[in-house]
Amino acid sequence: MKAVEMNDLTKYYKKSRGIENVSLSIEEGEIFGFIGPNGAGKSTAIRTLLNFIHPTNGTAAIFGKDIVSDSKEIKKLVGYLPSEVHYYDDMKAIDLLQYSAKFHEYKNTNRIHQLAERLQLDLHKKIEDLSFGNRKKVGIIQALLHEPKLLILDEPTGGLDPLMQNIFFELLTEERNKGATIFFSSHILSEVQKMCDRVAIIKEGKLVTVEKVETLIKNNLKKVSLISEDSQIADFDLDGVLNKETNGDHITFLYSGEIKPLLNQLTALDMKDLLIQEPSLEEVFMHYYE
Amino acid sequence: MLIYNREIRKNAKALFIWGIILGGIILMTLSIYPQFTQDQETMNDLLSAYPDSFKQAFGMDRLDIGTLLGFYGMQVHFMTTLIGSIYAVMLASNMIAKEENEKTIEFLLSKPITRTRIMTEKSLAVLTNILLLNAINVIVCLIGFQFADEGIPMKTFMVLIFGTILLHITFAAVAFLLSVMMKKSRTITSVSLGLVLISYFFGVVSGITEEMEVLKYASLFKYVDAADIISEGAIDILYLSIMIGITIISTWLSYAFYLKKDIAT
Repeated sequence: MKAVEMNDLTKYYKKSRGIENVSLSIEEGEIFGFIGPNGAGKSTAIRTLLNFIHPTNGTAAIFGKDIVSDSKEIKKLVGYLPSEVHYYDDMKAIDLLQYSAKFHEYKNTNRIHQLAERLQLDLHKKIEDLSFGNRKKVGIIQALLHEPKLLILDEPTGGLDPLMQNIFFELLTEERNKGATIFFSSHILSEVQKMCDRVAIIKEGKLVTVEKVETLIKNNLKKVSLISEDSQIADFDLDGVLNKETNGDHITFLYSGEIKPLLNQLTALDMKDLLIQEPSLEEVFMHYYE
Repeated sequence: MLIYNREIRKNAKALFIWGIILGGIILMTLSIYPQFTQDQETMNDLLSAYPDSFKQAFGMDRLDIGTLLGFYGMQVHFMTTLIGSIYAVMLASNMIAKEENEKTIEFLLSKPITRTRIMTEKSLAVLTNILLLNAINVIVCLIGFQFADEGIPMKTFMVLIFGTILLHITFAAVAFLLSVMMKKSRTITSVSLGLVLISYFFGVVSGITEEMEVLKYASLFKYVDAADIISEGAIDILYLSIMIGITIISTWLSYAFYLKKDIAT
């Protein structure tokens, strides 16, 4: 059974587009990244999965259960961290977390204190007195507390300092080792690169590609940097060369295609230095956005 | 019943304050009654000094202010209906929209609970609060009636109370529907308060002249008019049906609309 399966999932708002015909599936136990710039439709997809909004078209299932008709059953299995955490201001963090645990009929409330200690959160402060980052921590505990089988995290690291981000990723790894599936959206590529098995890239509401993180980096693209005083260098061109940037005798570009023709071209040049490397996910990503 | 419990606890303070204010006004008013009856003659003179249309507007022409029930009908009933209705709409109009405005609804919706359940627990909380406010009202009245050395026909008094509660529930159901359909909770509170006051105003105006009488159908307050209930001993079946009808339809629409609603960011 797939943890998440979307079939042609489409959501239009009254006027604007949300997502169009998104189909993808996530295996159980996988960490799946959902990448795109702001407004690409990441949150729309997540909110549709949680039935905050109703799909215009298409279907989706979580652990085989329909997102609209079985929403209640699904939520027993899901922990959700919103990108912006909004909780009842009159509650203390501990009240909110106990309230949440009661909905899930989760008895082991010790875990609240364990998680709070890991994240260095003062549970006895009122939520309205907490900073953005500390509210996020409350949200993280709220999502992880009942040990859900599927974690849906919408831009989870926003507002956390790098130290906290590391602790957060440790916590995610622990959940994964317990068998949890993790689906998280982000526009920060390095964190996706670090955590995810596979990643979906979404652009203007449409799914661009779903790839293994390694494949995305390895197969398609090379980043070439070279230093040369050869005057021919400005004219250097070849099918598959992208994003060429010349800076004095420095030239960098991305190359996708067979490696041999590239090398043949390069040997003709008089070079001081040459570096061919895997591009960062950022660069891969920019490539998909062209 | 997690949401219900939370709503009850959250609204307890407001209920307490409204109860004290309403109870205080009732007690003060009822404490004047003995002096009223002592000085029957001056009082009749005083009343006859009012213009007829004024008396008609407030049902003073048909109520005998010299009896405890008549006094209650004229001096207290309008306050319990009006103040209670304001309380009811302010409570109900905040129920759904406030969670959406403050986005705390995302928390609830991510929990294993259906939207129907959220609606049911919230409307039960509104109902409970209305019943509690009216319980305070009844208890304070029963205490206040002790100032007078005459009894009160309990059956008619209970019909008046029943009418008051039904009126509050009807207004609450309409405000609850607005709370589901509209976005800004402040607007909803103003709109539903406006409804209550306009409805009250229509009730007063409809009493003044014959031509204005049709306006009484636009006024829920006229449906539970003290003079009518005291003289008939019952609420007109037509009025009763309209109020129950409005309540059922509003509640049904609230559920139907909410189940389909997109919770926007």
